[in-house]
Amino acid sequence: MSERSIIHLNVADFAVAVERVVDVRLRRRPVIIAPEAAVRAAVYDMSEEAYQSGVRKNMPLGRALRYCRGAVVLPPHPDRYERAMARLLKLACPYSPLIEVTDYNGHLFVDTTGTGRLFGPPPDVAWRIRKAIRADLGFDPIWSVATNKLVAKVATRVVKPTGEYIVDAGEEAMFLAPLPVDLIPGLELDDLKRLRDFNLTRTGEVAILSLLQLDVMFGKRSQYIYEAVRGIDLSPVFTASQKQPVLRADHTFGNDTNDVASVCAVLYRLAEQIGADLRRRRLATRRLGLVVDYSDGKRTIRQARVYPATAHDNGLFAAAQKVLMHAWTRRIRIRHLRLMCDRLTFPPAQQELFADTESRRQRHDGLMVALDAIRHRFGFGAIQVGRTLSASPI
Amino acid sequence: MIPLTVRSHYSLMWGTCAPRQICVAARRQGYRRLALTDTDNLYGLWPFLRSCEEQGLQPIIGAEVTETRSPQRVVCLVENEIGYRNLCRLITRRHQDGAFGLDIALPDHAQGLIVLTQSPALLADLHTAGVSVVGALPRRPGRGAVKLRQIARYRDVPVVATPGSFFLEPADMMIHRILRAIDLNTSLSRLPRSELAPAEAWLASAADYHQRFAAWPDAVQATHVLAERLAFAGPNFGLVLPPWGGSSERSAEEQLRIMAYQGARRRYGRDLSESVVERLEYELRIIAQMGFASYFLVVRDIVSRSPRICGRGSGAASLVAYCLAITNVCPIKHNLYFTRFLNPGRTDPPDIDVDFAWDERDDVLNAVLKHYEGHAAMVCNHVAFQPRMAIREVAKVFGLSDREIGQVSKRLPWFWRATFAADDRLLEHLRALPELKQLDFPEPWPAIITIAQRLIGIPRYLSVHSGGVVITPERLENYVPIEQAPKGVPIIQWEKDATEDAGLVKIDLLGNRSLGVIRDAIANIKMNGQDFDEQRWEPEDDPATQVNVARGHTMGCFYIESPATRLLQQKAGVGDFAHLVIHSSIIRPAANEFIREYVRRLRGGRWEPIHPRLADVLDETYGIMVYQEDVSKAAEAVAGFSPVEADGLRKIMSKKDKARRLKDYKERFVAGARKRGVEDTQIDAIWDMMMSFEGYSFCKPHSASYARVSFQAAYLKTHYPAEFMAAVISNQGGFYHAFAYVSEARRLGIKILPPHVNHSDIRWKGHDRTLRVGWLSVKHLSAGVQQRIVQQRRVGAYPSLIDFLKRVQPDENEVRALIHAGAFDALPPQNSRAALLWQLVYWQKTRVHYSAAPTLFHQTPDLEAPQFPPQNKTERLRQEFAVLGFLCDRHPMVFYADRLKALGTVKACDLGRFVGQHIRAAGVLITGKVVHTKHGDPMEFLTFEDETGLIETTFFPKAYRRFCAMLDRSRPFILYGRVDEDFGALTLTVDRVERVPKMQQTQSCLSEENPNQRWKAVSSNPADSRISRQRYL
Repeated sequence: MSERSIIHLNVADFAVAVERVVDVRLRRRPVIIAPEAAVRAAVYDMSEEAYQSGVRKNMPLGRALRYCRGAVVLPPHPDRYERAMARLLKLACPYSPLIEVTDYNGHLFVDTTGTGRLFGPPPDVAWRIRKAIRADLGFDPIWSVATNKLVAKVATRVVKPTGEYIVDAGEEAMFLAPLPVDLIPGLELDDLKRLRDFNLTRTGEVAILSLLQLDVMFGKRSQYIYEAVRGIDLSPVFTASQKQPVLRADHTFGNDTNDVASVCAVLYRLAEQIGADLRRRRLATRRLGLVVDYSDGKRTIRQARVYPATAHDNGLFAAAQKVLMHAWTRRIRIRHLRLMCDRLTFPPAQQELFADTESRRQRHDGLMVALDAIRHRFGFGAIQVGRTLSASPI
Repeated sequence: MIPLTVRSHYSLMWGTCAPRQICVAARRQGYRRLALTDTDNLYGLWPFLRSCEEQGLQPIIGAEVTETRSPQRVVCLVENEIGYRNLCRLITRRHQDGAFGLDIALPDHAQGLIVLTQSPALLADLHTAGVSVVGALPRRPGRGAVKLRQIARYRDVPVVATPGSFFLEPADMMIHRILRAIDLNTSLSRLPRSELAPAEAWLASAADYHQRFAAWPDAVQATHVLAERLAFAGPNFGLVLPPWGGSSERSAEEQLRIMAYQGARRRYGRDLSESVVERLEYELRIIAQMGFASYFLVVRDIVSRSPRICGRGSGAASLVAYCLAITNVCPIKHNLYFTRFLNPGRTDPPDIDVDFAWDERDDVLNAVLKHYEGHAAMVCNHVAFQPRMAIREVAKVFGLSDREIGQVSKRLPWFWRATFAADDRLLEHLRALPELKQLDFPEPWPAIITIAQRLIGIPRYLSVHSGGVVITPERLENYVPIEQAPKGVPIIQWEKDATEDAGLVKIDLLGNRSLGVIRDAIANIKMNGQDFDEQRWEPEDDPATQVNVARGHTMGCFYIESPATRLLQQKAGVGDFAHLVIHSSIIRPAANEFIREYVRRLRGGRWEPIHPRLADVLDETYGIMVYQEDVSKAAEAVAGFSPVEADGLRKIMSKKDKARRLKDYKERFVAGARKRGVEDTQIDAIWDMMMSFEGYSFCKPHSASYARVSFQAAYLKTHYPAEFMAAVISNQGGFYHAFAYVSEARRLGIKILPPHVNHSDIRWKGHDRTLRVGWLSVKHLSAGVQQRIVQQRRVGAYPSLIDFLKRVQPDENEVRALIHAGAFDALPPQNSRAALLWQLVYWQKTRVHYSAAPTLFHQTPDLEAPQFPPQNKTERLRQEFAVLGFLCDRHPMVFYADRLKALGTVKACDLGRFVGQHIRAAGVLITGKVVHTKHGDPMEFLTFEDETGLIETTFFPKAYRRFCAMLDRSRPFILYGRVDEDFGALTLTVDRVERVPKMQQTQSCLSEENPNQRWKAVSSNPADSRISRQRYL
């Protein structure tokens, strides 16, 4: 099999880049992206200038502003980043069926293995994609070409914030050798700490060690480290379409709350949203998950099987409430709820054994149909269940 | 109607009101009598009795007693003295018996008690057992009550209406719910109903109750009949002194006389001077007259359990105590007057506090509790909600996160309680605080603070008093119910004021770190083969020590090591015992301006007494009130107070809720003084000076006792610095961190030797101008491993790391800490910590192979150790700092030398050359103290340190507001300001602070933070990428 070739495109400081496209006045000024609510703001992303002044991700906004006094602070706009990411993907799409988008953070892996006949050498492809992005969105992404994702990623890190880098096949180890170990993706803080204990700071110094020696030092992590410092990475490029569909409904409380009644009201509304979505797709779910985000940033995730599969508001709510019982263990106020369902399937066709339960089910089905019809015509808020009245408007 | 089941906030986390509030409300509603029946306790007995007296109510004493394992409960009301004792025993049993059942326990203790129960079954059982039992009808007539009435009628037992109360008004339900939520660690919406009192459980008026029980008016009437039988109005023990159980047939007085004379001969030699004999006779007479002989003997028994103690408090004025070795300062030599301690005119109990070395105190205490088992217990504290705790807990119930809460609660200044607690405009006060200026208190903060305000002062749980022990002649549970504190010691249910009200005399046995320091230092000196005769040791007469004390070189010395005291010493420039006694006492929170005036007068400034009447009283202290007793002396001299009255005033000053009673005293003081021709301005000046004793203050005997210990420490520091500093660091818990003490040692010319696996002990060791780091300073090292290292070394020194690992069996992080601390640097492979770490991981790997069951392919890879790159020096020191908290061979500031040189900073040792000038200096923060100006603005005194010495700085309110948030201990700071001199003491008045810029390439060795990586070096060569691109395009 011929060598793989992977292009990595990386828009540095993606959130800032997007904001700068939206508002050109930001181009020449340091920018910090952070939620504005004064109490809890932590830096989400920052521009290069702000970085140079000492601002880092997740730093409290107050401190960040002390480091970088003149910075413009913007709230994060996940929707914008999502749209920009979709656009990036669209521009890269013509060149390969295998494109991996990790998150809405400006990273894109394009697998161009074997496309040489069609589109020319990978660096050309990368160059063209970059050009297209520049023309269309105005970003100047860093790009790199290498034989695998790991090396490609290191290559873009090396030239950040702008530039390009090509690592030829067979040159991976040589390329990595002089670099500091903390540039290698996948090395965790513990690994780095241990490497520092042994005075190992450059990748090349680690690459001298044999697998057995590494095994003594790192145990289970040794295989990964052994391969990583040599630029070996066999992981494939995952496309978005290979993932299972998941339906989500979110609610962020305007005022965080720990009141049972209001949380349940919101939960019911989320169940309704998911239910409506499921019914529109004519599907039912077999698993519900609930993400509870507390005021202090801690997150609990719990999930439960739903049997039989359902798309009814009531069934979903009953299941969701059970999950909530498991997930909601603290008395810190809740800031955000996300209800998710996956393992989607077709609604069970089996009828109830007894006539009265069956007729009850049918009546319920009828109610759902009626609700959906009203909402379809007059909007979601046109009709409401009493228990959701106390919840704040979505 | 007489309310027979009223609960106060002493029904912890259920009731909401203090007994005083309840009494006031009851009076307002026209009740004449009232029962306080808190759940399983008599915590509130004395406050209740006092309040009843104030309000003219006739108290009924009782308690609700519950079962441990069921919701069954009864209310016991006290008929007479015997009943009171039985109730105390019953409650004690309830707290000490894990399977306490009412049906079994009650009949044993029923005499003198009337038992109210709602349970028909229990009513029948108890009635059969001969208990005088009464049926209790709950809130309203109902189905359960009908059955109770039937059975009661059948057995001819009366039935009374007992609508219990937990609060005073319907609106208090909210407070109750908050308390329950705090108690159960939950939020309001998740409180189960079974954990709440009924909504109508408030103290209603008699008319209300009549209406509720309109169906059964006889039950209401019966409360009066019942109350007739409850004539007991509270116990009266008189003064309860500890019993002396000497075996001889001599009386306590005779025994005391013999022992006092024996002790006197030990102290003063065989021939006692006339003054000693005269004083002894006088004291013995008074003691005998007041019946305190046994008390002295018991205290002597206790102190004889430990070789090193410091008796203090007003008792140190007694020659008898000195002769019995209870105290260590000669009252004749230092002019301490016995009459302040005991005189026939006073009725309150004597007060002797004894300090023991902090690590010996618990043993002494346990021995005392064991020796007097059943007759001794510790006094408790009723820990009440303070503003900070109240805000924090309520906010938690509202679901706020620690961070959100911390933003408010952490910024509340410490003195905050005293100022605002009484007042009900908490939120306004909070908004006005400069520390909280940035916060706008969004919802739900206003609600939280309004509720928190109501919680302030409500007791939350019991804790053990720091050292108060009560010993009684009869079994203690005949006086007061006893509980078991979580740490295992028995405690009585009353806190110290109530204990005093009851007449129980407490002895304070406290822990003191410095006694441990002195003990260890002397042990270290002796271990080094030097002689040290403690018997003839007179440190206060040593000139070299006096010089050091006068210069304020007293870091590490007991009670005189704080920056404030050291500066005072420097300004005063005197180091004799008499002045040190004054200095230990004059350093008080509210006495700043008097200190300034004192120094001026001491340095020869002119002064006149405020009023001639004060001249005699305050001559010894330059006309300034220094000691606690000066307050009463002045009150007697200026306003003609009687000794008892004056002493009452002195006592009030140290109490918490004094405002009301203080006002009363002031009126009397002003009236008295005017009558004696003192002018109003003078009266005000004197009163103000008296008020500076608010909070805490010392009496002279107490100060003298402390000064004695200070001098011992200072002597050791002067003559045996290495041994002394080793003891200071080993005993921990001084005013400063180990880091500051290590720097101080370095300044004393001592070399700090790093920990060494074959030389270090658990504690630090001093020897001949060197200090060896002890294991206790190595982070992550467990006590067990520390001991094993030393134990195993007795078998033989450790030749290698592997040998150490095999013998000591430490955890991995412990070995790592030891390696980074440099404990193995002297073992092979010398000086390569990476190689040591390799040995460690290799040993772990192979050990796992061998220790498991024999494997089929019995092979362990025989690996060569890799060649690791040499360690970066800064990295090495950074790791050392992370593990030890200080550096052995240098001050961390030397890392910044280059940068600071470029900035032209002045070193601490050179400050004296720049008096009056604006300079920059740089240093690491060591300690700090926030105080408030007259206008209530916060300001701060901070101590910084560089490699040459200490920099005492002042941040005035403006600078404080600007920089207080920025300062921490993680890095050095550049200080801009003016050097001021005041009587020889140098301070830097800071107007600006900056961080010292980070060093390039290497990180600060102080900070552990690893900044998010973004690497640039390679990328900065754009040519590389251009070339590669050209190749392809």
